[in-house]
Amino acid sequence: MAHSSLGIILFRIIVLTLAIAAWQFAPFGRGMELWVSRPFLILARLWEWVDDGSLWPHLFATGSEMIIGYLLGCASAIWLGLVLGMLPKLNRVLAPFLAAFYAMPKIALAPLFVIFFGIGLESKVALVWITVFFLVFNNTLDGVRDVDRDLIQVLRIMGARRSEIVRKILLPSAAPWIFTGMRIAVRYAFTSALLAELMAANRGLGFLIEYHSGSFDTTGAYAAILVIVILSVGITEILSRIENSAGRGR
Amino acid sequence: MSSSSPKISFEGASKQFDVRGNSTLALQPISFDVKKEEFVALVGPSGCGKSTVLNLISGLFQPTEGKVFYDGELIRNLNRRVGYMTQKDTVLPWRKTAENVRIALELKCRNVGRKEAAERTAQMIDLVGLKGFEKHYPGELSGGMRKRVALARTLIYEPETLLMDEPFGALDAQLRLIMLDQLQKLTSQRRMTVVFVTHDLAEAITLADRVIVLSARPGRIRSITEITLPRPRDVFKVRFSEAFATLHETLWDELKDEVVKGTDV
Repeated sequence: MAHSSLGIILFRIIVLTLAIAAWQFAPFGRGMELWVSRPFLILARLWEWVDDGSLWPHLFATGSEMIIGYLLGCASAIWLGLVLGMLPKLNRVLAPFLAAFYAMPKIALAPLFVIFFGIGLESKVALVWITVFFLVFNNTLDGVRDVDRDLIQVLRIMGARRSEIVRKILLPSAAPWIFTGMRIAVRYAFTSALLAELMAANRGLGFLIEYHSGSFDTTGAYAAILVIVILSVGITEILSRIENSAGRGR
Repeated sequence: MSSSSPKISFEGASKQFDVRGNSTLALQPISFDVKKEEFVALVGPSGCGKSTVLNLISGLFQPTEGKVFYDGELIRNLNRRVGYMTQKDTVLPWRKTAENVRIALELKCRNVGRKEAAERTAQMIDLVGLKGFEKHYPGELSGGMRKRVALARTLIYEPETLLMDEPFGALDAQLRLIMLDQLQKLTSQRRMTVVFVTHDLAEAITLADRVIVLSARPGRIRSITEITLPRPRDVFKVRFSEAFATLHETLWDELKDEVVKGTDV
């Protein structure tokens, strides 16, 4: 987006304004208006949520599910990826099971997580965790497999311990793979948290959509979706900044 | 350990590689000793098993038959008393020059403080002529410079035995002489035992106490020649002496036959 010329930006503003104006002033019938709402109604609703503070608990819920699940997922995936990368025999034994788990859409487990952990934070964290885990785990394993064995030998002859080989060779060598997995996993973490909330929850952005849709209050649902759009754009922006600065490191 | 007993000892050690059902004999059973603080050069045609000899001493390989001893003990595992500079470029691409050179000193088993490590790293970098390149990544260095990083990284922890596999192959002629000079000074100063693989006879004669010529694959010992040139040797001038020329001729006659055989394969 950085290289867009002024003309293009102007064009975008015009397109957006026209779309919003059309949505706002189109002569929908009463029934139609119930389905699609009106932009100003949606903004007014969003402002109301911000103004009375009722949005924050939902934002906080989704955010903490996502962040806790993401961090747990990354940590456990990197750990297991390194362990199995160091123990190729154990990896060969476990590989088909892990592959089967990886291939399965994790959302299928969401109802079970509700049974196991209830409708609170824990069941959402569990779904985010397992989704993030497999993405980062596979990448870590690929990264460790790609490590030049000769580099490990050099350090072993120098007298390095196992932990030193992990820190000085495996981790830095696999780091680009691990980061790729972690980057992809951020979006999945967000999606998983929302999906889990849509399924069964009493707070969170997914719950907001589900709750307002359930009572035919589409304005409320659109307002919640608008929050999600803003968050997604924010996450994408932060990720691409990190990526750019990491790209300069090498 | 008395100084008369050998540092390294091969007793009929051979090596055979089995790759997907095909077995190749890389090294016929060979026997020789390397004395303590001796500088031995191994020369021979490509693929004659020179590197295999080093891999056996470092414990990376176990011999198929026979035995290899270090300090009178059978080498069963990785031999951590040697410093091994392999032919392959094993400089860590994510570390800058100084970080690569000092890596051995970061290990717990060396027990070297940060300050001392920094001093020794600076010294080593100076010694191999990489001053000013401390903060360069390997990707920003030439092939010869990377070799020197690898050399400095191996020398910095002063292993009692140095295994070197064609360490100066990528260097230009002048720089190579400078490095040979440094290596000679350093190894005699620190009383290191050195096993040095090269395909360059002049390099071998300049540095070594003994030159072992290996035959074409599968390698066996063709000859062992004592290099009696007085020490310390001036690496820049020694090659113009009469004694050097005679040695070179004798050894080249040995090597020539094997190189010819080697190219038939």
